[in-house]
Amino acid sequence: MVTINLNRERLLKKLNLREDELEDLLFNLKSESKVSGDSIEIEVNADRPDLFSSDGLKRAIDGLKERAVGEPKYPVFESDYELKVEEVRKRPYAIAAIVKEIKLDEEYLKEIIQLQEKLHATIGRKRKKVAIGIHDLGKITSKTIVYKEVPLDYKFVPLGERRLLEVKEVLQSTNQGKEYGNISIDQDRGTMPAIMEENGNVMSIPPVINSEHTRITQKSKDLFIDVTGTSLHAVLQTINILISNLAEGGGKIYSVKIHSRDRIDIMKREELVIDKLRVQKVLGLRLDEKEIQHLLAKDRIDYFLESSSIIIPPYRVDIIRDEDIAEDIAMMYGYSKIEPQRFVSYKLGTYDNITLIERTIKELSIGAGFQEVFTYVLTKKDNLIGDYVVIENPISDEYNAVRNSLIPVILDFLSKNQHSRFPVKIFESGDIVVRNKDNETGYKNERMLTIALMDSKAGYEEIQSPLHQILLNLSIQPKYSSKESPYFIKGRSASVIIGNNEEIGSLGEIRPELLKKFDIKYPVAIAEISLNKILTHVY
Amino acid sequence: MLSEKERNIVDYLSSRGQATSDQISKDLGMDYSSVLSLLELLKSKGIVDIEVNEEEEVELTEEGKERATKGLPEEVLINEILKGKEVKINDVKDKMGEDFKIAITWGKKKNLIEVEGGVVKPKVEHYVSPELETLRNPNPNSPFIDVLVKRGLLKKGKKVIAKVTLLKPIASQTEMITTLTHDILVNESWKNKEFRPFNVEAFPPFFPLAKKHFFKEFLDKLKDVMVGLGFKEIVTDYIEIEFYNFDLLFQPQDHPAREIHDSFSIKGNGNVKDSNLISNVKEMHEKWWKYTWNPDISKRLLLRSHTTATTARTLASGPTPPFRSFTIGKVFRPDAIDATHILEFHQLDGLIIEEDFSFKDLLGVLKEIFARIGIEKVKFKPAYFPFTEPSVEAYGLIGKLGWVELSGAGMLRPEILEAVRVKGRAGAWGLGIERLAMLYTGTDDVRKLYSYDIEYLRDRKVSLRW
Repeated sequence: MVTINLNRERLLKKLNLREDELEDLLFNLKSESKVSGDSIEIEVNADRPDLFSSDGLKRAIDGLKERAVGEPKYPVFESDYELKVEEVRKRPYAIAAIVKEIKLDEEYLKEIIQLQEKLHATIGRKRKKVAIGIHDLGKITSKTIVYKEVPLDYKFVPLGERRLLEVKEVLQSTNQGKEYGNISIDQDRGTMPAIMEENGNVMSIPPVINSEHTRITQKSKDLFIDVTGTSLHAVLQTINILISNLAEGGGKIYSVKIHSRDRIDIMKREELVIDKLRVQKVLGLRLDEKEIQHLLAKDRIDYFLESSSIIIPPYRVDIIRDEDIAEDIAMMYGYSKIEPQRFVSYKLGTYDNITLIERTIKELSIGAGFQEVFTYVLTKKDNLIGDYVVIENPISDEYNAVRNSLIPVILDFLSKNQHSRFPVKIFESGDIVVRNKDNETGYKNERMLTIALMDSKAGYEEIQSPLHQILLNLSIQPKYSSKESPYFIKGRSASVIIGNNEEIGSLGEIRPELLKKFDIKYPVAIAEISLNKILTHVY
Repeated sequence: MLSEKERNIVDYLSSRGQATSDQISKDLGMDYSSVLSLLELLKSKGIVDIEVNEEEEVELTEEGKERATKGLPEEVLINEILKGKEVKINDVKDKMGEDFKIAITWGKKKNLIEVEGGVVKPKVEHYVSPELETLRNPNPNSPFIDVLVKRGLLKKGKKVIAKVTLLKPIASQTEMITTLTHDILVNESWKNKEFRPFNVEAFPPFFPLAKKHFFKEFLDKLKDVMVGLGFKEIVTDYIEIEFYNFDLLFQPQDHPAREIHDSFSIKGNGNVKDSNLISNVKEMHEKWWKYTWNPDISKRLLLRSHTTATTARTLASGPTPPFRSFTIGKVFRPDAIDATHILEFHQLDGLIIEEDFSFKDLLGVLKEIFARIGIEKVKFKPAYFPFTEPSVEAYGLIGKLGWVELSGAGMLRPEILEAVRVKGRAGAWGLGIERLAMLYTGTDDVRKLYSYDIEYLRDRKVSLRW
């Protein structure tokens, strides 16, 4: 979700709505609003960047309220400005447009900057993919604008400064330079992309900063907008949203003639033929064509009966095929009016076998007097022994690894319960992660059962006998084979063997040095077995 | 009927007829005041007679206790400070602190020292106070009692002494049965014997009753609901390849949700075995998102960030409609840990594929699932998820909380079904479980669902309804 902040009174006036009406209407546009003081916060879904300003909201709400229906057509006039796009290796695409007769005041100017920033954050992928420069047309002296690479010692006055700085100084010393400077700098050639006037005055070094010279103010009337980026598709989407919203707010769009390798037209309207039957089937709604036409008109989209097609408005970057149109139709129809189809189940589903064995073995463990506990899968490296998965980007040292056995986690649990009423008899069935070269990931989960006893005395047999009975109840005849383990005291440590010499787990009395590491001052006996391994024997 | 302790006293008396309360307390190791009250009880039952006398007793004061172990100050002065030599008075003061005055006063009084010109001179080489023995073993007849009381080291008091006489002989403990055993039953020695009564009204000692974990029970019940609705359970692993966690789900490689801070990454690369699937997914990304798809990014390993990864694997396995599956499992996301956020939590993901499945059907499935967990009223809001279209968020009306967001759902994007070559249409949904579990189990902090305090688990009452 993207949050935009607007002046409350101004917005309600612009939309001609009461606050509660606004909330309901936004709900149907996948959005939410929250009033805080003079401003209103609106959460918009990232797939609808056209709603990132009050102009876009007004366009959509006018449709919902049927104050204006069908596609709003914003005429594009020709200007005598041109943009020459030269080869810029790190950021090859550039486009420009002019919007005239904008009535800027303090609030509207803030809103346009906000729209620019939100587009940077979303479609622009934090300016990596797309960046926008908005300039005061009145301050631009040449009709020809050039997009090219400039050397790093090229000088201009960046926004907010009073003196000429070299490009590399701007990258090193300004906040924007530090944050975005690395995106498009060409280190090998020692250049940065620049939008420039014909006389060599820099207007902006995308995606970093504009020049002070072309700064927009409340007095600006006509805007020159450049959009640069690494994806032509995204660059076009961005400029179309921006100028459509400015046009909805009263501006007049003028094209700038683009000289580049790629043929680029702004505000191009694509036709999409709709498979009506498919739309109806996706939704499960019987809508006739007239209704579809009406609903789409409310959505500010023109539907043509003869060709069963729509024209995708250039600012609607979320529509690519039938299903997208189906969603819009459903939204206009109202999700609340769609009667859910009664769900019928014909037969029972199935549990995964691991669930079935786990449920059985849990009953048996409780019967043996062990309390079930539920611990975290993530733990700290220090607690684990052997080969385990490490998290590359942990946010805490307490959780920087994935457990490879339940034993350390259970010891951690016991160490926190030394002042509880004794005896402490607990069990857990849970997943651990171990290596497995046959899997696509190289790892696999293994469901383990661990039973543990902490008391004033806790001997091998006291954990072996309940384990033995649990296994016998599963029709498994275990054998115990003496085996050294990093967990258990030598001579009081065994593997559990079933079937054809398969080791399914281990048990024993925990080594005093391990107890000390976990700061446990009472003896502990633990058994751990793999339910996955048992599964292959019982089913 | 006699209590166990009363019985012990009677048994003690029956071997000797008479005793004092003092002896009873010492020999039976019982607290003196409770012996007195038990004797009163036995008297009221007509079992013993008691004759009460008061005896003088002397008791150590706090200071008395200290002196008894360390010795009296004048003794300390002679033996530890002076050691037969003259010492400057200021040095004595420094070493003895608060005891200095007492030591000087009593040292002069007992003619042990001389103080002259700022110097303390010992008159004896070694000294043991005669009253110390009395202090260590107070005997009311000692001649030092008065002086010690005056020095505030002893205080005088009175002690109640009861002389007890057993009136009724009662069958002794050895003739009563304490524990009924196999032998007693076999040799029938229980005949003509009484059973020693127990205090059956007292609360018992702790018993470590074992039970299921309340949150795991909730997860089990959710599974039961899904299986009851005809869904097949699917279980997959925590470590996942980005390919299944993101790429197959139509999330472009530069999507903000794929940034490093939104999931836990694991060193190494995975290897998707189905090369057709890889090329289909590549085509899907390049056709619809219009960028060059990078297979290396798709191979990165991570801890799955949603159980939709399980749904993706299910789809990749080529299910044929009609098909219904679900998974309940843990997912992992970096977050600040607090009362509502932890790094690992559960999600339920569901999938239905049918020839003619519709959005209207999907809303029906969601409604039914919530009805089965007791949420009767639901409403639906348009939403956005990269892998579904149309998308919806389901809200449920829950008691005082009002409308609570429960689930994100939608019709799987046709691009995905095309990539996995699955025919028909599919609905999918996911819901976070912890918040729901907190509501159902009355838990105010998500961390309590994973409590490491066994007493919390022991004290939690079992739920009688669902």
